[in-house]
Amino acid sequence: MRVILLLAFVVACGPSPEPTGTMCPEPDPLTLTYDNFGHEFMTKYCTWCHSSELPRAQRNGAPVYHDYDSLLGVLETPDHIDEQAGFGPDAKNEFMPPDRCPSVAGGALDKNCAKPTAEERTKLAEWIACERNRNHSFLDAGVDAP
Amino acid sequence: MRFWIAGTLLLSAGLARADHMHTVDHGDDGHAFGAGVTMIAASFDQPLYTGNYQGVVPAVQWANERFAAGTSVALYRLEENGAEFYGFGDFVIHGQAMLIGNHHRHAGVVAAVSAPIGDDRRGMGMGHPMAMPALFGTWMVERFAVAATAGYSRALGADSGHDHGMWPIVEPMNMQEFTWSASGDYAFTPHVHGGARFSGGVPIGNGDNRIIGAARVAWGSGRFSTAAELQAGIAGDPFTVRGVVSTAVSF
Repeated sequence: MRVILLLAFVVACGPSPEPTGTMCPEPDPLTLTYDNFGHEFMTKYCTWCHSSELPRAQRNGAPVYHDYDSLLGVLETPDHIDEQAGFGPDAKNEFMPPDRCPSVAGGALDKNCAKPTAEERTKLAEWIACERNRNHSFLDAGVDAP
Repeated sequence: MRFWIAGTLLLSAGLARADHMHTVDHGDDGHAFGAGVTMIAASFDQPLYTGNYQGVVPAVQWANERFAAGTSVALYRLEENGAEFYGFGDFVIHGQAMLIGNHHRHAGVVAAVSAPIGDDRRGMGMGHPMAMPALFGTWMVERFAVAATAGYSRALGADSGHDHGMWPIVEPMNMQEFTWSASGDYAFTPHVHGGARFSGGVPIGNGDNRIIGAARVAWGSGRFSTAAELQAGIAGDPFTVRGVVSTAVSF
């Protein structure tokens, strides 16, 4: 029984995705946007698997509806991005990107994934914290914003 | 006799983690140790993930006339959205006590606790301990036996704001839910019986209602017992179809 409890304790105390607690400065400085940061970050590190163009069988484990090839997609699951890859005052999450990535989107896991720097992860969390509170209109993309 | 009771109970348990636990034919021994292995194969088509998994679940168990206890841990191969993973599921320890019993009727309590050694991010573990107590009852008349369980399961130590819905992929449960099961079996011979069961979970708070239907056959001879069950996910997307084959030996 002691072994079981110890095992449960050790596992339960392992790293787990946590909100970074990052707050957007007031007022929003607008220094980090999808155009000047988010798009490049997602393209470099995420859309190899998290793309709306990839069918389930080619996502290398990425869940459906977690597509970051558009700002609209990012805003569907901002908490997950923060908890998987963001750095902030409450947590430093390095669960994503994983160790292995495809050379082409949807391909086999044949190379080591590029990893964001600590500065990039901190900016990611700040951008997400600010972007989620901004007003958006996706009507020009043919999509009605919520 | 106990082959009937335990087989009816554990293969029909509403405890999702105990769904595939196998039991052993103890004969009329005062007590018995048992060891078994369960093979699982399933396909699933859930909102976020599609794929299949296979599992091997070694288990050990001890039982006497009134009490039983056991442990198990699964090793899975999981394919989800095109990715393949191998790993352990959560470690489960369970106990059972018969409070009321005679030749035809039995009732008692069963409880399981899981330790989160499975990779919850891959869908092989819950991510936190689970407590899964339940009440059970069985009633046997000649060749027929019916059984039912009613229980309550909840996550232990999870943050109050942490609710991942039904998880993991391999044995989905809600963070907090009522569990239930009902089954019926017919003894074709003293050593071979078959039947059907339904089991499920009703979420408390956020979550999804889950219903599983299954048909099964079990047979025992001497120290060995074997059971096969074909399961279908009826509600809640626990899986599309799942096959479970268990075999065990007592000593």
